[in-house]
Amino acid sequence: MEYLDLTIKEMHELLKNGEITPLTLSKAALERAYKYQSDYNSFVTILDDALNAAKDLDDNVDNPLYGIPYALKDNISTKGILTTASSNILKDYVPVFDATVVTKLKEKKAVLIGKTVLDELAMGGSGTTGHTGIVCNPWDKERMIGGSSAGSAAAVALGIVPFALGSDTGDSIRKPAAYGGLVGFKPTYGRISRYGLFPFASSLDHFGCLTRWVEDAAYVIDALKGKDEKDMTSLPDDNKIYSELLDGKVKGKKLFYIKEIIDIDTKDINQEVQATLDNFNFVLEQCKELGIEVEAVSIEKKLLNALHPTYITISCAEVTSNNANLTGIIFGNRQPGDTVDEVMFNTRTDGFSELIKRRFVIGSYVLQKENQEKLFLNACRVRRIIVDKITELFKKYDGLILPATGGIAPKFDQKFDKLLDRYLLLENHLVIGNFGGFPSITIPSGVVSNMPIGVNITGPILKDSEVLNMAYALESQLGYKGIMAKGGNKNV
Amino acid sequence: MIKKEDLKEYASKLMFDMKDEEYEVLQKEFIYILKNMEAINKIEGIEQITPMTHPFIMTDVFFNDDKVKDCLKTEEVLQNAKEMENNEIKVPKVVG
Repeated sequence: MEYLDLTIKEMHELLKNGEITPLTLSKAALERAYKYQSDYNSFVTILDDALNAAKDLDDNVDNPLYGIPYALKDNISTKGILTTASSNILKDYVPVFDATVVTKLKEKKAVLIGKTVLDELAMGGSGTTGHTGIVCNPWDKERMIGGSSAGSAAAVALGIVPFALGSDTGDSIRKPAAYGGLVGFKPTYGRISRYGLFPFASSLDHFGCLTRWVEDAAYVIDALKGKDEKDMTSLPDDNKIYSELLDGKVKGKKLFYIKEIIDIDTKDINQEVQATLDNFNFVLEQCKELGIEVEAVSIEKKLLNALHPTYITISCAEVTSNNANLTGIIFGNRQPGDTVDEVMFNTRTDGFSELIKRRFVIGSYVLQKENQEKLFLNACRVRRIIVDKITELFKKYDGLILPATGGIAPKFDQKFDKLLDRYLLLENHLVIGNFGGFPSITIPSGVVSNMPIGVNITGPILKDSEVLNMAYALESQLGYKGIMAKGGNKNV
Repeated sequence: MIKKEDLKEYASKLMFDMKDEEYEVLQKEFIYILKNMEAINKIEGIEQITPMTHPFIMTDVFFNDDKVKDCLKTEEVLQNAKEMENNEIKVPKVVG
């Protein structure tokens, strides 16, 4: 039996019965990590020390994550373990404290087996900009896995670990989940403490997880949620155990989708976009089978067209400020200079890649005094209009359902699609979840051209449990749960 | 088209520089970015809206007591610094 292909619950039962030990799982995880590293590049660091950590665990199998191997995106602070954010400027940085999520997973006795590659400083959606190289999609090496939580998605899709943590500022967990045939969940903003997460855009940043089953995501979030005095934006615990509330009873729930995002002129459009839309219709039929009512809702196109530029404006503005501490003085890859200013200037010039610098310049531009009102503040105003609109709809509906992406994972050498404008909204709507801090989950919904695609459900703030339960019911109905690209017998 | 010197100035304010050819790429990218950003200003009545800086109103925001705790040890603070002297981080001379 390939233990790593099982659900967390199944692994937990075997651990409890003494059929396997944490060492069995960690050994298997490390073997797979090494086996796939040269082909897919999931990890910045693989931790051989995981074997000692697994050996040293006590025998008290007291919670579902006991002895379960996992991976962390490399923008999460781990005391004594290299944490690079996949950037040259932090290529030697070793944190002196643990992120709260790491502390919590240590308390649960989960075993960290590696730190995963991301798009540099979590900015990017391709998995191609990390300082240690590109991450390949386990379903097809010629394709991207998406980003920025690229290595975390690849590690779970390869069956190296049953769960990995990521961060999500625009879609960085939920889009790679779709491209990798995975579950990607980010709960309500503040549900999980962000202490120890290298910030990208603080008002949009969320922690979350990548798994192969919705139930596994519930176990992980159960372990991570709760108020943290080290993060003043963290929410009080809702004292619910999400994994115990998964009952699949969703009859009578009401979802909506946004008509303007789905209504695409499909003439001459690439067949994968068409297949994604067909799959969405299949998903809607399955919702009806479950007793979920789904309605089309219309939102002004002008407003929807402003989604992506609003995201770019706000995120680039916030990131320029958040990364002002990367100077090389106290930490970071310091470069020589004759003055303190020169040291900082040279360190930043040398340490950031071109892509990051371009984003920073956009941030600098929108924050110039003459542009602040027209660009930055107006983007913040658009954000409010969108969030108010969706929140109003959530009074009538339990959630928003849409395809997670506009198609399958792109090839690395894929040319710019001239018809992209037609389905741009389909590619970029997941930011709604970040604008409003809404809980949002992607689950696998089908296979197109031998590549997985996903559907996304986003719900009202604080309704994490309900969102998980709708996804739980739907994943069983759709028949793609637990699919794996490699390493298991459940691949399709 | 946005001027290359302006882009250089924006980069300089954030304390880094780029290669000439990178500024040229960015110049072209800015045409597309600015065109897209026009969508933000096409929303009617936008000036009446209060800018949103946080996903939702948090009613339970707390401030920690003003007490010293969880301090890093000196060696921890210095652990990631490239240059040190006398238990302090060394930087180029700033006074004559």
